[in-house]
Amino acid sequence: MNFALLSMALPLITALLLLFVNRRAGSIVIIASLLSLSAALAAMYQVHLYGVQQMALGDWQTPLGIRFQLTPVNSLLLVFTALVHSLVALYAAYSRHSATNTTDFWPLALLLHSSLAALWLSSDLFNWYVTLELLGLAAVAMVSLSGPKAYRPALHYLLLSLVASLSYLLGVALMYGRYGVLDIALLAEVTQADATTQTALILMTLGLMLKAAVWPLHLWLPSAHANAPTAVSALLSAVVVKGPIYILWLIWTEVAPAELAQSIGFYLALLGIAALILGGWSAIRTPYLKVLVAYSTVAQLGYATLTLGLLLHWQQTQLLVALWLFVIAHGLAKVSMFLVAGEMQATLGSNRVTALKGATQTMPVAMFAFAVAGGSIIGLPPSGGFVAKWALLQPILASPTNWPWAIGILLGTFASAVYVFRAVVLSFNRADPIAPDFSPDRFSHWLAMLPALMAWLMAIVSAQLIRFLGGVA
Amino acid sequence: MTAIQLYLCLGVSLWGLGSLGLFLATNFIRRIININIAGNGVFMVMVALASREETIDPVLQALVVTGLVVAVCATAFALRLSVAHTQSKQDSER
Repeated sequence: MNFALLSMALPLITALLLLFVNRRAGSIVIIASLLSLSAALAAMYQVHLYGVQQMALGDWQTPLGIRFQLTPVNSLLLVFTALVHSLVALYAAYSRHSATNTTDFWPLALLLHSSLAALWLSSDLFNWYVTLELLGLAAVAMVSLSGPKAYRPALHYLLLSLVASLSYLLGVALMYGRYGVLDIALLAEVTQADATTQTALILMTLGLMLKAAVWPLHLWLPSAHANAPTAVSALLSAVVVKGPIYILWLIWTEVAPAELAQSIGFYLALLGIAALILGGWSAIRTPYLKVLVAYSTVAQLGYATLTLGLLLHWQQTQLLVALWLFVIAHGLAKVSMFLVAGEMQATLGSNRVTALKGATQTMPVAMFAFAVAGGSIIGLPPSGGFVAKWALLQPILASPTNWPWAIGILLGTFASAVYVFRAVVLSFNRADPIAPDFSPDRFSHWLAMLPALMAWLMAIVSAQLIRFLGGVA
Repeated sequence: MTAIQLYLCLGVSLWGLGSLGLFLATNFIRRIININIAGNGVFMVMVALASREETIDPVLQALVVTGLVVAVCATAFALRLSVAHTQSKQDSER
């Protein structure tokens, strides 16, 4: 547990330090992120050795105190968060095109990291409200870093994030009014399927769905993610939207009575299918590269929603493996895609997809990274995306009555293949390549490749990962 | 209807009005005010729930205080952003 706390506290302390030290912020953040990554790995190893761990903050026991817990899922998420932050910090410090090098990006990125870690570790409804607000404020501030054109999307993002938090908070208030406790383990023992509980859960779910950009509450996401600086878009798409999904998963599997969870699960799964198809359709249609990648996030979050929905609907807890593998595979691939999109946009001087024409000739490494990441997004074997999709398909294919869900997944996969290949095919059109404005930055192209390769490496360690999360490999 | 129930209903309606207003309003200042109305509605529900019994529930009151701090920070940030947005729009029109 101490290592997990260290992984959370290191970025926070460094962020406060950066308020006083202005020089070499980039190197300091990279070191802090790497240290946090090693602490998270140590925490994961501890979970592997000793199992789930609990901690009462300041020795105040529940119900009054706040409990932190360390489980296989959240230790893996801690590692994932620290890994993504380290990669993005490397990019932001060393890329020629990162517009964030001399801005307030550094302390904000660390605060974002710290609040995410706190979110993963918490197990208390109100503490989640606080971490959600911290996360939202840091994320909005980071979106606004890209200057006046981003103020409007940032403001929209902030207002929607606030209204979502209030909806969640009202749900929490009702829950506390009904049962008098906030800790999810204590709530799990007492909840009943009555009208108050149902209203409270639905209010919380609506708030979280808006924050996680679950279709049809996703409209804020493309403009916010596409207008942010490249490093920020990568962080927002890869990790920030996953926070509310973690809370959704815990409140519906732990707190909610099974019969309520079963009925809501069906609708969540339907929304997931709609996100896959309609989000994919928007990604196919948009003329802008970063918007394409952002809509791909909306579509891919559909998989997470679908998996969560089916998990609840069938009450099959082993689907959690599919859910979290999806989250991690998507996160890694999306970092890569956003970094490539940012590099392309900066080097080619255009934000349109059509500017990619002939990019395999002028920027082969970056385009290869995009294709590799896209392969994992589509779910081509043997990538991390494939492993997750396979874990999801197994229970679906097990009985013929479940087969209609497979059609939805098939359509979603088809849509993702179309929008990835749309970009890749254009880049192979070498007849009349669009010349870059200035020489491409090879080092950042390789940096963008790194997370994409990791998404594929996930497939190699997938058996261990699945066993670690408690599934059957 | 007891006083507590009245406050609960009022709180929920404030939350509803504020949330609805956020989606109907177009002016950013109006939307920020709407958010605050909705927030106060939620806090009112929490305060009403806290005073259901003779001894007032300190946990809910602590939650309201925390919520107020968050609401003040978020409002300040939203106002600053909306000022920056308006200024940048005026600059580009000039």
